[in-house]
Amino acid sequence: MVRLEHHETPDGRVAVVLLDRHEKRNALTPDMLENIRACADHVHAEEDHPGALVLGGVGDVFCAGFDLSLCQEDPLILPALLTRLSETARALRHLPIPVVAAAQGGAIAGGCALLCGADFVITNRDARLGYPVVRIGVSPAVSSTLLQPAIGHAHCRERLLDPALIDGEEALRIGLASECLAKPDAVLPRALELATDLASKQRHALAATKRWLNELDGSENAAQLDGALNASLAITSGDEQRTMLESVWRG
Amino acid sequence: MDLATLQTAGRLARLTLNRPDSRNAMCIELLDALHACVDELSGRDDINVCVVMGAGRAFCAGMDLKELLEDPDNPRRLLTSIAELTIKMRDLPCATIATVNRAAIGGGCGLMCVCDFSITHEDAKIGYPEVDLGVCPAVVAPWLILRTGAGRARQILLQGGVMSGRRAHELGLITRLVESVDDLEDATGDMVERLVAAGPIALQATRAWLNELQPADLVEKVRKGAVISADVASGPEAQESLRKLYQGS
Repeated sequence: MVRLEHHETPDGRVAVVLLDRHEKRNALTPDMLENIRACADHVHAEEDHPGALVLGGVGDVFCAGFDLSLCQEDPLILPALLTRLSETARALRHLPIPVVAAAQGGAIAGGCALLCGADFVITNRDARLGYPVVRIGVSPAVSSTLLQPAIGHAHCRERLLDPALIDGEEALRIGLASECLAKPDAVLPRALELATDLASKQRHALAATKRWLNELDGSENAAQLDGALNASLAITSGDEQRTMLESVWRG
Repeated sequence: MDLATLQTAGRLARLTLNRPDSRNAMCIELLDALHACVDELSGRDDINVCVVMGAGRAFCAGMDLKELLEDPDNPRRLLTSIAELTIKMRDLPCATIATVNRAAIGGGCGLMCVCDFSITHEDAKIGYPEVDLGVCPAVVAPWLILRTGAGRARQILLQGGVMSGRRAHELGLITRLVESVDDLEDATGDMVERLVAAGPIALQATRAWLNELQPADLVEKVRKGAVISADVASGPEAQESLRKLYQGS
């Protein structure tokens, strides 16, 4: 359900990680998150590795978030999803190459949190982005460490507390997206184009710059990343969450 | 000839980068001259505002990259000097305006971002092309983050290249945009007029308080950034890339 491809042009080599579960709008399972992380680790470990990585999703929607139907069968799945999400976003952020996310259509909840691991986010005007999870008793706090420096305190507070979704234009305005295109079909090609350009830069300088930016904005702060994850995990066994999720499954 | 000059008139100071034949590229000598000017200005509490500008056809083309190659000690000397200069400029008692004619590149863009205001025109060339040249903008990153926020700063520094004044304004690098280079003087004059008329004590107190609200480890990070930039500039990738640029080999 996650594929790693290589996109090669004379200008540079790019790794492409694609979520491929489009019949479920790329809803995330713990294995898919683990696979994204494994792809990132694999790219990192390659000798003469690609110069940039694109994270995308097959179909109309980049990612609709966690596959909550799994949690119905096993109450331990939600904590596993949150933990894997945190690990995967960190792995993307800590890669020594730039990461470009292609978020056409939508990046919802866990899907939006994945974007926070990317350095660039391309989306389209009619896409829907955000964290509509407090309404089902889930806390998006896990996303805060990477989201807050990207969009600033005020926007972060609004996005994590208000379950409403925003469109691509608003995502661009607040800095959740770095580019917003008119057509969803143009998003992945543009991400590949940008990643190819980034792959043509001087590699050592780029890696040093990214590492330094990570240090400056708290992306390397393990204690804070763990704290954010724990804030989301702390309520996963509570009555409120169980009751609210049960009402989701009842429809 | 002084490579940087300071003139004052009433409550206004003008700090000019004066190496026009090299588009005001910051060599060690120019940086020394800037330090002397800023030291002088730091003792002047009768000045409300300092306009920083470049003589000739550019505000500042950045660090003198050629000097990076000339002596193995130069990367560290240049970058330490830039770090300490920006720290001093932020600590000045007066407000600072960068009036950017035509180009502010790399370290020149860093100098611009440490000022309180930056004015430029739509077709100016602005940006941080360090990663294209094998060097690393670590020393100026903390100032850029304060200007644009960490997310935009990440994209600007990783993407390299240069952008138009218009785009730089959209991203928050520029605080005031005018149409053409001919409009710069008037726009700067308008702002100077307002700041010169302000109460000097109120202006200084506000600026000092805003500085206090900056991250507590800002100065430490700027200094650490200089070490990182110098290390990268001394490395084989940067040295090879710069030799190609200057020697065509």
